[in-house]
Amino acid sequence: MKKIAFAVALAFAATGALAQEKTIKIAGFGAKTGVVRSFGINSEKALMAAAEQVNKAGGVKLADGSKAKLVIEYYDDRCTAEEGISVIRRIAGTEALIAVGPSCSNVAEPLFGILQKKVDDKSDSGLQFPVFTDVAIKVGLAKISEWAFRNVPNESIMYSAVFYWLKSKYPEAKTVYGGVEEDFAHSRASWYLVMKDRAQANNYTVLGESKWLLNDTNFATQVREMKKANADIVAISAHPFTTCGVLKEMQRQGVKPKVLVGLTSTSSLETMEGCPKQAEGMIIPTSFAPVTKDAKSAADAIAKFKGSGDLHSMAAFENVLVLKQVMEAQKISGKKEDVQADRRKIRDGLAALKQTTGLLGVTKRSDDREADKPYLFVHANKGEWKVLHNPL
Amino acid sequence: MLDLLQSLSDGVLFGSTYALIGIGFTLVFGVMHRLNLSYAAASVGAAYAGLIVLKLAAGAPAWAVFLGAFFAGGVIGYVVYVACFHFIPLANPLATLMATVGMLLLIDEIVVDVTAGMPQNYPAMFDDVMLHVGEFTMRGDLLLVFFVSMLCMAGLLLLIYKTRLGLATRAVSQQEVAAQLCGIRVGQVNAMTFIVTGLLGGIAGAMIGASVGTLSPLLTTPLTTKGLIVTVIGGLGSIPGAIIAGLMVGGFESVLQQFRGVTERDLYVMLLLFVFLVFRPGGLFAAGSGRD
Repeated sequence: MKKIAFAVALAFAATGALAQEKTIKIAGFGAKTGVVRSFGINSEKALMAAAEQVNKAGGVKLADGSKAKLVIEYYDDRCTAEEGISVIRRIAGTEALIAVGPSCSNVAEPLFGILQKKVDDKSDSGLQFPVFTDVAIKVGLAKISEWAFRNVPNESIMYSAVFYWLKSKYPEAKTVYGGVEEDFAHSRASWYLVMKDRAQANNYTVLGESKWLLNDTNFATQVREMKKANADIVAISAHPFTTCGVLKEMQRQGVKPKVLVGLTSTSSLETMEGCPKQAEGMIIPTSFAPVTKDAKSAADAIAKFKGSGDLHSMAAFENVLVLKQVMEAQKISGKKEDVQADRRKIRDGLAALKQTTGLLGVTKRSDDREADKPYLFVHANKGEWKVLHNPL
Repeated sequence: MLDLLQSLSDGVLFGSTYALIGIGFTLVFGVMHRLNLSYAAASVGAAYAGLIVLKLAAGAPAWAVFLGAFFAGGVIGYVVYVACFHFIPLANPLATLMATVGMLLLIDEIVVDVTAGMPQNYPAMFDDVMLHVGEFTMRGDLLLVFFVSMLCMAGLLLLIYKTRLGLATRAVSQQEVAAQLCGIRVGQVNAMTFIVTGLLGGIAGAMIGASVGTLSPLLTTPLTTKGLIVTVIGGLGSIPGAIIAGLMVGGFESVLQQFRGVTERDLYVMLLLFVFLVFRPGGLFAAGSGRD
């Protein structure tokens, strides 16, 4: 009888302790269904892995000195703008203090548009909710709203470094030809505003570009144009599916440039699943590879959650670690009644950051709330992405 | 001139994949007078299922994967029939249409779920063969697809006009009640039609996977659209029409892409569809009279 009474008392005590355990909710959102589903799935796993790491170390210290555990709740935006906007409004109605996402630039751009443009602008009724993007990479999006922050690599800097490096590595290469997925925001912006521009800035002659669409299946005409151009370097700005289609057509038509450059997003498992042989040698700048102790440990942590560590998912991992620091530095209360005040504190904290510690090293933060992340070059080698050059 | 010829040839050969999908759409419509919008998704699903052969026996030849897709297509075809047509009153065409839309999304999501949306490398036959006549080239793998399309059309026409099943199918398509009164089991004939179109869809999916070189759920939407366009232009219910329209649409879009660019290409294909709908709504080979 005494034993039962003790057990009941213990159970009540435990229940009480659980009830008292404070939590802070971080909402993740991205594409968990649809064709770019892998982005959302891996981001969710990364967020969970990072939250577990933080929680195991005690959690987040609040203003009153107590500790709170991080809780991750992930929402699916299906990589569509309307769904993304609906999701962020839903998240803003919860106790989440910040959202990490989205996966797609075509979601990020309109979504940032519904946030309040300038903080404290009373004439602007936009949503006052901080968003810390991990994946959507199209250049210059965070400037849309002062509530928008990104931890995505700066493609302009990375491709500038790629073409600069190629200049010394392949001095005989003089010309560049592009291949662009014309109907996808990121791919299009990455070719016209980044790769093409950076190639020209490094004194390459850009001979033109072939265009195709995200859903295309036949690339014969485009690759024939590519073959006619006979450029030394071919730079492809497209997602893995069409990148693989084009690479296979290049193989059929015997198009063998001296150098093949790919889009940051293609340095993923998807390309290795789709066309490992044809992608052999493709060079891509990326902001993640398990080359440091922290990076290896993070990759292992996400693997435990059955996720894949790449430049996108690992940005989500980093975001959680950065948010922990910001929340502690800004002394958030973590109380229900202070949700909006805590969101504002987090926004201000993120805006004040000049640099953060990432998995590959120090990430500088710009005034327009973008990141200048460390990067390295990887290349496809026998069905794997291997580090080719570390410029830092 | 060479560019025009090359584009036309590339497009016509690739159009065989549209023709294969078009045949499936048209066959079901011809027999049941219903559209099965899940057909392209089922074909792609069957092609994915064919990859199980590679999981079971690594290094298996491409034809074994195609064979796997062929049989998987038959099974999926039967499942589509049971789920979308068997229990739903055929008198309500909108219900079956919406059921097949649901099936399209379901198959798509299953594929995305199993593969995590990752493109899958697909084996091909004769993909390293390129026929050259001067600067003019023809892809060996697309010639195979073209040959398979012709073979499928011949096989289907033989099945329809030279077998008892074909006779029953024609009877059901022309006068369902009369066919029933003659002792033909309409449900069985419809189910067989779905299995046959499913088997064909398996081949179509495998050929498309082989000609693209990669399988992705991204294939479903364009194939459904092109399949429907081909079916309308070819004439609803006409198998030779689907073949000719498939090759025609393939050639048309390739030439337009060459001269008007990728962003305008589909506009003209859609315009072609509207031209047919307005001036020749029965398509190239409108089915003859004699239907109920």
